Amino acid sequence: MTAEEMTIIGKSVNRKDAPEKVRGAAKYTTDYIAPDLLHAKLVTSTYAHAKIKSINTNEAQKVPGVQAIVTAEYCPGIVGVILEDQPMLAKDKVRYHGEPIAVVVANSEYEAKKAAELIQVEYEPLPVVNSPGEAIKPNAPLIHENHGDYRRLKHVFPEPGTNISNHVKIRKGDIGKAWAQCDVIVEDSFSIPQSDHAALEPRNSRCEIKPDGRVIIYTSSQSPFIVRKLISRYFNLDEGKVIVNTPLVGGAFGGKAAVHLEFLVYMASYAVGGRMVKLVNTREEDLIGSPCKIGLEAKVKLGSTKDGIIKAAEITYLVDGGAYSNMGVAITKSIATDCTGPYKIENVFCDAICVYTNHPFTTSFRGFGHMEYTFAIERTIDMLARKLKHDPLELRIKNAIAPGDTSPSLVGLTPSNIGNLKECLNQIKKLINWDGGRKVDMGNGKIRTKGISCFWKTPSTPTDAVSGAVITFNPDGSINLNIGPVELGVGSKTVLAQILAERLKWDINKIHVTMEVNTELNPVHWKTVASMTIYMVGRAVLEAAEDLISQLKSIGSIVLRCSPTDLDVADGKVFLKEDPNQHLDVTEVVYGYKYDNGNSIGGQIMGRGTFIMKHLTTLDHDGGKGVPGPGWTLGAQAVEVEFDAKYCTYNILKAVTVLDAGKVLNPKTAEGVVKGGMSMGLSFATREYFDFDIQGKVLNHNLRTYKIMRFGENPQYIVNFIETPQIDAPYGARAFGEHGIIGMPAALGNSLAAASDTDLNKLPLSPETIWKTRKEAAQ
Amino acid sequence: MITMDFAYYRPKSIAEAVNTFQDLTLQNKKALYYGGGTEIISMARMNKLQFAAVIDIKEIPECNVMQINNQKLTIGAAVTLTKICETNLFPLLSRAAKATADHTSRDKITVGGNICGLIPYREVVLPFLLCNSQVILAGKEGQRTVPITQIFDKTLKREKSEFIVQILTDRTFIDLPFEFVKKTKMEEIDYPLVTLALIKLGDEIRAAVSGLCSFPFRSSRLENEINQISVPLQTRIDNIMSNLPGPILNNLQGSAEYRDFVFRNTLLDALAKVGGAS
Repeated sequence: MTAEEMTIIGKSVNRKDAPEKVRGAAKYTTDYIAPDLLHAKLVTSTYAHAKIKSINTNEAQKVPGVQAIVTAEYCPGIVGVILEDQPMLAKDKVRYHGEPIAVVVANSEYEAKKAAELIQVEYEPLPVVNSPGEAIKPNAPLIHENHGDYRRLKHVFPEPGTNISNHVKIRKGDIGKAWAQCDVIVEDSFSIPQSDHAALEPRNSRCEIKPDGRVIIYTSSQSPFIVRKLISRYFNLDEGKVIVNTPLVGGAFGGKAAVHLEFLVYMASYAVGGRMVKLVNTREEDLIGSPCKIGLEAKVKLGSTKDGIIKAAEITYLVDGGAYSNMGVAITKSIATDCTGPYKIENVFCDAICVYTNHPFTTSFRGFGHMEYTFAIERTIDMLARKLKHDPLELRIKNAIAPGDTSPSLVGLTPSNIGNLKECLNQIKKLINWDGGRKVDMGNGKIRTKGISCFWKTPSTPTDAVSGAVITFNPDGSINLNIGPVELGVGSKTVLAQILAERLKWDINKIHVTMEVNTELNPVHWKTVASMTIYMVGRAVLEAAEDLISQLKSIGSIVLRCSPTDLDVADGKVFLKEDPNQHLDVTEVVYGYKYDNGNSIGGQIMGRGTFIMKHLTTLDHDGGKGVPGPGWTLGAQAVEVEFDAKYCTYNILKAVTVLDAGKVLNPKTAEGVVKGGMSMGLSFATREYFDFDIQGKVLNHNLRTYKIMRFGENPQYIVNFIETPQIDAPYGARAFGEHGIIGMPAALGNSLAAASDTDLNKLPLSPETIWKTRKEAAQ
Repeated sequence: MITMDFAYYRPKSIAEAVNTFQDLTLQNKKALYYGGGTEIISMARMNKLQFAAVIDIKEIPECNVMQINNQKLTIGAAVTLTKICETNLFPLLSRAAKATADHTSRDKITVGGNICGLIPYREVVLPFLLCNSQVILAGKEGQRTVPITQIFDKTLKREKSEFIVQILTDRTFIDLPFEFVKKTKMEEIDYPLVTLALIKLGDEIRAAVSGLCSFPFRSSRLENEINQISVPLQTRIDNIMSNLPGPILNNLQGSAEYRDFVFRNTLLDALAKVGGAS
């Protein structure tokens, strides 16, 4: 089908979840109120690393309304998704500030909180590991003394006797010989702090255990099917008896991919005989107690010829995974597979190491580590450009990755799996009025500069990640699309309806998509992460559509007395290709066709489609060879700032993204998602971080001091797409849900480094940091 | 959610408020006068403030006055910062009010509450300090009217039973030329690194500061230095910095060293603007 023939793909269809959201009628997990609902409240650690000497619940038990108090002694064991290393409730010791120690269940939230405040925990402080650098020191305190004994559920390489939870190596080409070919070498260190997702809706769950043993969980999650799996695994329950419901989710950004509160709320319900218990994080608990975003320390060394051809990259990434490995170890692998950024570099030597620290534990966050390492790489590229006296944008064009090259893990690249970075750079050059990246003195103490960053990312999914779609009909011929991803607020369900509407040539308003997820009813979808919803579910939807069409044609061929191949389906009709007037309305066949004399044939028409990842492999541990994902999405980003040279303050004037989207399925939602990512990236780059004291306690775990960019502070955003189709993706559409965030800190850092003539290698880029760095450089 | 039990009173008159406070004191109950409640609620939620009762003064008619009469601007203690901004009878105060918190909070925060709060910044007090405003306090001994400069030393020094009823400001002050600068760590809506308010009475410059130390202040020493026009500006600023009324604040918003840098430049720029540079 040519672009002109596409009727609904490429149109800005309004989101199907919009009317109830804009009217405030949408219901989220915690909106449920019932008279017999019990409330849980956590007791969390006030230390980052300490032995728990005792937990005294005597006073708390006396609070009226208290039904149960759960501590680690009632927990079945330790949990994990890749490496099993985390007690559900802290046992014997706490490893981060905010770690849950006990759960109080009471008749009301008030009574639960009151009792929680009366639980006395006696601690014996332990020495703290407060950064990744400290974690790998030879005599660093061990956060997990026996982590060699932890069960490994997936491809992961912890190093017993150290704080290392995973070590991924990339060995491409011959780094030893490569340096000899380099005329110019730059090398520097970077540090990116931990922070949180800070979604509008704090994480929350509720659970009840029915008399027949069914466990019903309602949770604000990106992974209801993983919740089912882990609750079943760790509480020894039949998977079919664990039913997980996820209604709309109020922002997730990766932070709701982990299973955490669900364990606690199950134990809480179990402790009160299965009554329904609700557990809702306060903002303070949500910021540090539930999993956060990784931190990163990076060392990057790049070498190029005098003509600016990058020949070698030697990189060490130390990932601050926090107190428990969770997804930190997987993020480390993802960082390794894309470690150089989207550049053709023949010789790469990279060690990506995930370490335990006494910081909040970490899970996926938009970009899956790519935003963090991209800051390090792209700042180094700018340093290289400066040393070479090259235009930084031209240097990027010169080294841009392209079909025919290989990725760091030696995947052969094609137009389909990589896209067109050079075109993105050429376009951004115009959109930001690059002009050689010239610094403009505005004459009033203000300087205007521009910074650029490239980005790329391939999803890092399990090699067997699956999805599915089931299509059923209503009597009026409208369609129910039954799928398993969670609507996180990005409009993906609407786009999936568009994909179905396009394939069936159906009215989009006659396609109803399941908004809420119920693991008992919806076909499994791995997790709503990795920007993979459209790719995975879209493929399943297309397969289900084919199934449906073939069934419609099959019954149509009997009634219309022809071969199925003579028929086509569109606009709710099955018709003869050569004479559309000879047709059946689908309403006549969706539940079977009935002849005039009452005889009936056919039966209910239902489409089914499935999807499983193909050709993915784990990484070979010695050299990092392997296929991490089905394809990359790449692009370029630029930021223009006005810098006040005296105060080191700045305004971000403009931010631009040009991204190879493969095919833009819904322009407005696409633009919205990319702008959302850009905004989040700038917020992180300018102000979001955890401030730890020397004891590893977080000082700013509330929104007075943990700042997030407000509406109105945003610069002008410009988003442009180019379209190099990814052949195996629905209508060629690449994944880009996360990607708008990736290059923003780097582009901002590059613009501010140029403005202040200072190497800015740390985030956040606060005026004080710039001032201090500039001052130290001058000394 | 606040788990501590406490009583809530909403008196309709000054006398009722004071009597309620007295009754509670006799019962050995700690009572707080309550305006917008933003600070009391958020601190109580975190168990950082203990009390047995709050006495909400928002229904006392005198506390809601906002008018100019007989050459005096009267502002009731329960007037919200939003109302200050919207009526804009006192431009410098409007600026200070608008620089405080965000709009939603300003709908709640009151003038009296901000001045008497525990937060170190309390920027709303700065204009009153500069204008020698008069504070009407009500307490068990009745009412008294006192110049704010006399009773504001880091905090408003009031008797336990007293609350601010109104603040009176001479009309001649409210239209004086002024300069108000708030510098923050990164964004507009945040606690200050430093906030500087200046007014100009003829050739005399008055200055009040928040954020630099752990309390807002107007100091005669600072003003004397500022007004020594014959002394080179840089020297004056050095003198000011070595004679501050307290150590420079060092917190999440900014280090003491950075605040020092920002304040020097802010003062330099502000003085250049109001004509106090040379």
